[in-house]
Amino acid sequence: MDLATIAIAATPAFLASAVEFVEATTIVLAVGITRGWRAPLVGSALSALTLALIVGTLGVAIVTVVPEHLLLGIVGTLLLLFGLRWLRKAVLRFAGIVALHDEEEIYRREVAELRAQGVARDRWDWIGMIVAYKAVLLEGTEVAFIVIAFGAKGVGAMNAAILGAIAAGIIVIAVAAVLRSPLTAVPENLLKFGVGAMLSTFGVFWFGEGVGAEWPGDAASIPLILGSFLLASWLAVRLLNGLLPEGARVEARNV
Amino acid sequence: MSSVMRAIWDNTYGLLVDDGQLAVGAIVALAITWVIAHSGADIISENSGWVLLGLVLALVLANLYRAGRNARRRIG
Repeated sequence: MDLATIAIAATPAFLASAVEFVEATTIVLAVGITRGWRAPLVGSALSALTLALIVGTLGVAIVTVVPEHLLLGIVGTLLLLFGLRWLRKAVLRFAGIVALHDEEEIYRREVAELRAQGVARDRWDWIGMIVAYKAVLLEGTEVAFIVIAFGAKGVGAMNAAILGAIAAGIIVIAVAAVLRSPLTAVPENLLKFGVGAMLSTFGVFWFGEGVGAEWPGDAASIPLILGSFLLASWLAVRLLNGLLPEGARVEARNV
Repeated sequence: MSSVMRAIWDNTYGLLVDDGQLAVGAIVALAITWVIAHSGADIISENSGWVLLGLVLALVLANLYRAGRNARRRIG
């Protein structure tokens, strides 16, 4: 596996997966601490199996069956849509229009809801298992999507993307297991901003390649495209800051 | 069965689309790029990637500006 493959496939897969794992871990932690660990761990394991199945079947089928140019076009389109969704939300968050993602607040809310439902310690905790399964599956679907998209260029890229996602999962779970609290120290909003720009960059780059565009220096153009997205996002934050009067931002949430 | 399909569709749609206008705009930008890339002239086709980048950046700025104006109207 060469350095370029690792940089292109493993790095974005690692960063994007880390964000998703942090969000899933918050819910699993809330379930484990309020209702006991057995059911949420089984739910998370079942969910991980489901996701492995999705990547194993869909990912391999896409890479082996779809012709390369068509594949680049499809993956580019999906990455661009996915990346713009993240980027838009991140800009609105940084401009104060949408509330910042707060892991501590989500954790507290989840704990309160789970406590309210009560738990019978002598029976299997289906609620705990299903909540954990759904949380890991929901966040994990995005991880699976990213792995398939970044791994679409071939077996080496797929392995690099899978390794990046697994490494992110191991680190996040290990830190959460030690701390036993939501990972609020992870700069999630900033990471989402960067990942949104990165996904959009690869969307433009691969769709361009798919339709026969020549990028100067091939992958060497990626930092330039990424820089353009970051610059445009920074400009957008400044623009929005100028548009909304100071102190009125919280009331304008959820546009 | 239909509820399962509905859930899968909702999840997939939610994965890709946050703002419908931004998503439609992105699809239009991709379609324009495809048309330009297949228009015939090599020089245009080779540079179609930059056209896509320009279109998408303009789209992002315009979409966010609209979101900001909507927010201002809402609080005003």
